[in-house]
Amino acid sequence: MTVLAVSDLTKRYRRGGKPFAAVEAVSFEIGQAQTLALAGPSGSGKSTIARLVLRLLEPDAGRIEFEGADFLALSGAALRARRAKLQMVFQDPLAAFNPRATVARVLDDPLRIHGIASHTERPHRIAALLERVGLDAGLAQRAIHEISGGQRQRVAIARAIATRPSLIVLDEAVSALDVSVRGRILELLLDLQSQERIAYLFISHDLGVIRAVAHRVVILDAGRIVESGDARAVIADPQSAIGKALVAATPRLNRNRP
Amino acid sequence: MNRLRRFFRTPEAIAGANTLALLIVMALAAPLLFPGDPQAIAGPALLPPFQDWSLPLGTDRLGRDVLAELFHGARTSLAVGLAAAAAALLIGAVVGTLAGFAGGLIDEALMRITDAFQTVPSFLLALAFVSIVGPSLGVVVAAIALGAWTGPARVARAEVLSIRERDYVAGARVIGMQPMEIAFREVLPNALPPVLALSSVIVAAAILTEAALSFLGLGDPNRVTWGGMIAEGRAVLRTAPFLSIVPGIALVLTVLGVYLAGEGVVESSAVRRSLS
Ligand SMILES: Nc1ncnc2c1ncn2[C@@H]1O[C@H](COP(=O)(O)OP(=O)(O)OP(=O)(O)O)[C@@H](O)[C@H]1O
Ligand SMILES: [Mg+2]
Repeated sequence: MTVLAVSDLTKRYRRGGKPFAAVEAVSFEIGQAQTLALAGPSGSGKSTIARLVLRLLEPDAGRIEFEGADFLALSGAALRARRAKLQMVFQDPLAAFNPRATVARVLDDPLRIHGIASHTERPHRIAALLERVGLDAGLAQRAIHEISGGQRQRVAIARAIATRPSLIVLDEAVSALDVSVRGRILELLLDLQSQERIAYLFISHDLGVIRAVAHRVVILDAGRIVESGDARAVIADPQSAIGKALVAATPRLNRNRP
Repeated sequence: MNRLRRFFRTPEAIAGANTLALLIVMALAAPLLFPGDPQAIAGPALLPPFQDWSLPLGTDRLGRDVLAELFHGARTSLAVGLAAAAAALLIGAVVGTLAGFAGGLIDEALMRITDAFQTVPSFLLALAFVSIVGPSLGVVVAAIALGAWTGPARVARAEVLSIRERDYVAGARVIGMQPMEIAFREVLPNALPPVLALSSVIVAAAILTEAALSFLGLGDPNRVTWGGMIAEGRAVLRTAPFLSIVPGIALVLTVLGVYLAGEGVVESSAVRRSLS
């Protein structure tokens, strides 16, 4: 079953008075419990695609179908309600939360907004979410700036899964973490995917990470798709110049594990 | 604790804090030390200061106790100054947040209104407002706030414009939070520090404006105010100058104290920010 189908997505900005396309005629599909990776050099339009898919930006052209329905047709309360099923994890886990928030509040918000649990039930839900992502439930009362980066990214994942989404967009979600923490977060993501059947749109410039988690990969350059296919196959034998350059820039690929 | 110590490092801040503390003690102690009506006649008219120790600062034209008036006047000055500044900061923060967060036409409209208020001198605005509505404490507070909210609104808007691009605001949208909740619960509290940094200047200006309104006879007639005392003393300026000088000095010290203490707070938090 297709969770997300994007076709001919285009977003233009003006640069020095002239329009240029940050994203140009991009199309892809993600199936249930599938991971599609977006790779490409800096400025190739990966984050713009993420923001378009999440309706944080409006496209200039193209279609976005989410779970079989036109996602671009939604607005206002209908869009906010639908957002429960389409979540995001940001790169910088410190910037992704209100600096004044506590862990409990961060997790309480989605439960409250989407009416998932009653006021009295929510503390139990929050504890369960923390345990689900491998954190101690006692962390709930801490301020966001009082926990480590790895813990913070787990809280971000807990918040993303709080509303039982069918798709999570991860924009460089593990890039800011050091290697050992990154490995455990990737394991958590794979575990969540197999248990909850969540699809991921996984953005990374690290082909080693992509090979470890993604089923398929799309390689972008200057807003256009230059290559796409099975993640292992593309990384093993890239056809495009950009794909070859990305592989060459990732020495860890020579080892078999990321 | 550290922050307190840093605050008390500059002599200006210490002087300001002491003046402010004295003023607050005066305002709080007024009904205890001078329980009667400060506008009641307490002795012979125009008694000079330091003559009769039951009336240390003497009496005015009508024989009212100047010291009692001074204490009760501190109450009015402080209450009006703080209330007007609080109202101005609140209005400014809300308008600035709405303008900065909503953008587009709403921003344009709100900022034109802000411009309009800013072009009219705030004292004229207060004067006109009190003349039309009539003098009472609440009206004076509203009149002063009316001319003082534009500064906080601009500062809040500028801060909100930068905060609304942060990831956590996008994150709040992604979890389906309503725009009003994002603006007032997620963005506004984080935009407040630079807005609050304006408060000392606004309180000081509000106290001066209140005094000026009272001087012109537009203060609450049922309350003693320093501005009113100065106006009273003006009639006998040659024969009894102390009647204008005493409340005048109180006013100058208060404004200076508020300003210096406020600067001290801003400075100590700025130091903290640059250290971290
Ligand atoms: N608001 C904007 N206004 C103008 N140009 C923009 C805007 N946002 C992004 N761009 C441009 O669009 C292009 C794509 O940016 P995007 O952030 O999607 O790249 P990216 O692939 O995520 O890069 P990185 O790997 O560095 O995160 C870049 O050239 C960028 O400069
Ligand atoms: Mg990016």
